Amino acid sequence: MATTRDYERDLYPSDVLGTWNEQDERADDSRPLRRTAKSRVDEWMEVEFKFGGSRIKRKALALVLLGAPAAAPLFFMLPALLTLNENTFSVSVDDTLGTGAEICLFLCLLVTPMVTLTGQRWFVPLRRWYGIMMACCAIGDAIAAGLTDTTFAGGFLGRLAGHAFELMGFMMVMLVIPLLITGNHWAQRKLGRYWKRLHQLIYVIWGLLAAHLLLLEGIGFERGSNGSGFAGDGDAIFHQRLYQYSACSLFLLTLRLPPVKRWIAARQKEGRNWLVYVTIMPIFALFVFGFIFIVNEEIFKGIDSFMEHPSAE
Amino acid sequence: MTSETYARGSQQTSAGGVLVVLISVLSAVLVIAGIFYAAGTSGRHKAALAAAGCEPNLAPSGLQCTTVQMLAGRYAAITTAASQQLNTDGAAYIAGERHHLATATAALTAEVAVETAFGTSLARFPFPPAIASAARALIVADRALARLTGEQARASSLTRMRSFNGRAGAAAAAVETDMRIVQKDLDLRPTASQEP
Repeated sequence: MATTRDYERDLYPSDVLGTWNEQDERADDSRPLRRTAKSRVDEWMEVEFKFGGSRIKRKALALVLLGAPAAAPLFFMLPALLTLNENTFSVSVDDTLGTGAEICLFLCLLVTPMVTLTGQRWFVPLRRWYGIMMACCAIGDAIAAGLTDTTFAGGFLGRLAGHAFELMGFMMVMLVIPLLITGNHWAQRKLGRYWKRLHQLIYVIWGLLAAHLLLLEGIGFERGSNGSGFAGDGDAIFHQRLYQYSACSLFLLTLRLPPVKRWIAARQKEGRNWLVYVTIMPIFALFVFGFIFIVNEEIFKGIDSFMEHPSAE
Repeated sequence: MTSETYARGSQQTSAGGVLVVLISVLSAVLVIAGIFYAAGTSGRHKAALAAAGCEPNLAPSGLQCTTVQMLAGRYAAITTAASQQLNTDGAAYIAGERHHLATATAALTAEVAVETAFGTSLARFPFPPAIASAARALIVADRALARLTGEQARASSLTRMRSFNGRAGAAAAAVETDMRIVQKDLDLRPTASQEP
């Protein structure tokens, strides 16, 4: 007889860049094959519709629509790359690609809690996509900052690891490289059970991001223009990156706690999903609150970068 | 055995329930605090702008701030460049006004170009509302000067050209006066806290 613990472990996937379909799950030989009934939404998403001369699954369209914004940070920097605008890279690549990497990381980490809450799995492929975009943004940020940032001395390496917060960012980039390289089916098959362990590095990256932001903005305390980037903003607290990070992470972390997952699974088993939604709502609202300001930063800085009038806030 | 497992499972799920409720309450408190904090944004924004010496009408919340000094500096850069060029063209006109019609015409044509460009720069300049009327007067005076200088440049003889000198001088003096008024207003802008 399956206990609640067994039920929970079988139902909820782990957080890894490439766990994105049933095939992937089979590659993970450390746990039994997961077979859960598809939700009604999952079934609806599997239905095809006609588009032009071909048939496309609703899921494919939804995934493209939800996944496309993750490429926006790279898109914002494209004009500067094409025109080799060193000034734009120097001034705003950290805000545009760095914030972009943070957004993609949170979206990547958001997939598992959403599966936990909704029981739907159609959006699981997005986890891999967001992970890849996060890696591209982080690596692009590091390379561009190392080459063009004139704020810090010490050459390429000095700019990447010359200060404590930079060192945290550099370590994140170093860790994300193996995840990017192995974020595919072939690597998953080759690495077998070690693949999942390797991809749990995403949690280390999540933690290092906290250290990076903690050290970047005065351990979370506003001093002058520190944090909001501009003292006259009036919303200094909302623009503190560490607070944004904390607001988002609380939801992502809570939904990963085993007791919480067990509680949710038990309520869902009882058919009291409404209770789960009501209880989780404030935590999710806090997530949205923090996330909106990160996205706000990305849009404003990104558009400035795209127009090649970089904002140095 | 089954009831023990059930009891243990029940304890585990209730622990999760307590945890999630506590985190949920904390989150609700933070969200409500955030909403209250957001309600005071406008006041803080003005106070912070005043402290930073920023020009509130030019800096939407969250965007880069333009300080009064920056604004005055940008204005000075435009007026200085225009004045220097007009002085050069004026000197060329004086050198040619008695004997060289072509030289004088060329100098006046250059003056017209500078005055027109100056007017365009002023029209695009983000003057705060309090200075807008003085700035408009300056733009009007500059356009009048450019029109007069244009007519002077089209004169067919040096005598006819020199007959414009008096009116052109008066028009240039009017522009200079308006420029000084705008500069003074920019230097003595009210602080953000005095803004309506």
